[in-house]
Amino acid sequence: MAVPAEYYLVLSAGLFCIGLAGILTRKNALMFLMSVELMLNAANINFVAFSLYWGNLTGQTFALFTMALAAAEVAIGIGIILVLYRNFGDVDVTDAVGMRW
Amino acid sequence: MSSHASLFALGPALYLAATGLLVLVLDSVGRTTRLPFALGSAVFGVAAVGAAAVAAFTGGTLLGLGVGAHAFAAMNAFLVAFLVYLVDPSGSNRLLVASVAVAGAVFSLGNAAYYLAYFGTTSDAQAALLFGDQLVVDQMSLLFMAIAASVTALVALASYDYLEGHAYQAEYYALVLLAATGMSLMAAANSLATVFVAMELASLPSFALVAFLKKNRGSVEAGLKYFLIGALSSSFFAYGISLVYATTGSLQLEAVASALSGGTEFVGMLGIGMLMLVGGFAYKTASVPFHFWAPEAYEGAPAPISAFISSASKAAGFVIAFRVFTVAFTPAGLFASLGIDWVLVFQILAVVTMTLGNFAAATQENVKRMLAYSSIGHAGYVLIGLASLGGVASQGDTVLGASMMHLFVYGFMNTGAFLFIALVEYWGVGRTFEDYAGLGRKAPVACAAMTVFLFSLAGLPVGAGFLSKYVLFFGAVSAGFWWLAAVGAINSALSLYYYTRVVKAMWVEEPNGELELQGRPTGLYAAVVAAAVVTVLLLPGFFPIAETAIEAANAVLPNAGDTTTAFFG
Repeated sequence: MAVPAEYYLVLSAGLFCIGLAGILTRKNALMFLMSVELMLNAANINFVAFSLYWGNLTGQTFALFTMALAAAEVAIGIGIILVLYRNFGDVDVTDAVGMRW
Repeated sequence: MSSHASLFALGPALYLAATGLLVLVLDSVGRTTRLPFALGSAVFGVAAVGAAAVAAFTGGTLLGLGVGAHAFAAMNAFLVAFLVYLVDPSGSNRLLVASVAVAGAVFSLGNAAYYLAYFGTTSDAQAALLFGDQLVVDQMSLLFMAIAASVTALVALASYDYLEGHAYQAEYYALVLLAATGMSLMAAANSLATVFVAMELASLPSFALVAFLKKNRGSVEAGLKYFLIGALSSSFFAYGISLVYATTGSLQLEAVASALSGGTEFVGMLGIGMLMLVGGFAYKTASVPFHFWAPEAYEGAPAPISAFISSASKAAGFVIAFRVFTVAFTPAGLFASLGIDWVLVFQILAVVTMTLGNFAAATQENVKRMLAYSSIGHAGYVLIGLASLGGVASQGDTVLGASMMHLFVYGFMNTGAFLFIALVEYWGVGRTFEDYAGLGRKAPVACAAMTVFLFSLAGLPVGAGFLSKYVLFFGAVSAGFWWLAAVGAINSALSLYYYTRVVKAMWVEEPNGELELQGRPTGLYAAVVAAAVVTVLLLPGFFPIAETAIEAANAVLPNAGDTTTAFFG
C-alpha cells in the first residue's frame, strides 16, 4: 500500500519548519548547524519521495549529493565555530556583534 | 572521441581548478621530496613525448588519446617539473605561489576570451552541452567565466602584498582558485543539480577566506555571519529545488521548462519552490531579502576577499539566476497566468534592493562599508535585467545583455575600488572618510585610479560604468519599464553623493595629522592600476562587450532547446 505523496510533503515541510524554528531561536552555533542539517534533510525527504513518485532516479541521486555537500558545509562550519570560540570565548552567535547589522 | 573534445569547452574552469591544486602541491613539496618529484614529472613528460611520437607515427591514437593530447600532457608534466624545481623547501615560496595563481587565472581568462572570439566569428557556432546536458558552454557561460577569471587574476595579484607575513598563503590562493572554479561552473550549470553543487563549490571556500584572519575578531565575525546566512540560504535553495523537482520530475533546466509548458496542477508547490530559489539567488548576489550578510562580510573580510566576493561571486549568482529563470521558468507570461509572476518579484526586489543599498551607503562613515552597501545597490541595478523581461519581448535581449555588460564592467571597477581599500589597509591608514583626507597628495596614482572607479560606479563618463548603466536604463525604458529606469537614475544620482565624498576627502581636504605611507606594494599597485586602465579602456572598447552580451542574452532568451552539441566537433 503506497503512501500518498502529500504525506511526504507534510512531513518534509514540518521538518523544514522545525529546522527554521531552531535557527531563529537558538543562540548556540552548534545548534544552528544541526538545524541547518534538519532543513537540508527535509529537502532530501522530498527528493527521495518524489523520485519514487516520478519513477526516475534523479531525486535519489541528488539526495546523495546533498548529503555530501551538507557534510562539507559542516566541516567548514565547525572550523569557523572553532575560531569563533578562540576569539570570543564562547560559541554563542549573539556574541559576535562587533559590527552592527 | 567527442567527449574529450567537448571537455575542453570547460577549459576556463579546468585551468582554475588545476592551478588551485598545483598551488597546494607546490606548497607541500619538502626538502626530500623536491628532487624525486621534479624528476618523476620530467620522466612522465618524456614518456608523454614518446607516446605522442608513437601516436604520430602509427597515424592514430595511443591509449585512446591523440597526438595533441599526449603533447599537452607532456607540456604540463614539464611545467610541473620546472615549478617543483623552483620551490625553495626552506622558504615560504610566496612569490612562486602568487605567480602561479595569477598565471592560472590569466590562462583561464585567455581561454574564455579565445572561445568567445570563436563564438563571435563563427556564424553557426553552437553551445557545447556536456554530461547529459548538465553543463552548457555558451556565450553567457564564457562571458561570466571571463569575469570570474579576470577578478581572480586581479585579486591574486593584489593578495601578494596584502598577505605579507601571514601563514597559510598557498592555502589562501588554492581556496581563491577553487572558489573561482565554482563560479565558472555556476556560469555553465544547466541543471538545478549542477547549479547547487557549483554554488556550494563557490561558497565553501569563500566562508573560509572571509574568516582567513583567524586572530582578527572582525574577520572571524564576518566569516561566522557569512557562513550562517550561507548555510541557511543553501538549505532554502535545496528545499526550493526539491519542490521544483516534486512539481516537474526533473532537474535539467530545459526538461523543467518542457514539463511546465502545459501548466501544472501543483501551482502552490511550484510557487513556493521558485520563491525559495529566488532566496538562494538573493543571497549569492547580495540582494534583498538575503543581503544583510554583505556589509558585515565585506567589512570584516581581508579586502582582496571583499573584492572577490563582491564582484565575482555576485556575477556568478546572477548568471545562474539569468539561466534558471530564462531557460527553465519561461516564458514569463505563462507563469504570470499561473499566478507565479516572477517578473513582478524581481521588479519589487530590484527597486527595494537599489533603494536600500544606496540609502544605506549614503549614511556610512566607513569607506569599506559604504562600498559594501553600494555593492548591494548595484545588485539592484543588475536585477533590472530580469525585472524587465515581462515587457516588450523584442527588447528582452538588450536589457538582459545590459545586465551582463554591467556585471562585466563592475568586475573591474568594483574589484579595483576594494583593492584600493586593500592598499589603504596595507598602509595602515584608517577606515573612515576623514582618514582618507589628503591621501591624493601622498599617493596620486592610486587615488586617481580610485577616482576613476568611484565615478565609473556612479555612472559618470570617465569609465565604462557610464555606458553599461546607460544601456541598462535605456533597455528598461524600451522594454516598457520606464519607472524601473527612473528609480535607477534617481538612485544613481544619490550614489554620486557618497562616491564624491571619498573623492573630496582624497583630493580636496587637508590631511589631519602626519600621514606616512610605508612600504612599496608593487602587486597591489599593479592590480589597482590594471583595473583602472581596463575600466577606462572599456569606454572606447565597449562595443565588442556589448555585442557579445546581447548575443549571449539572445541565446538564452528564446526557448534554448534547439542548441545542440557541435561546439568542438
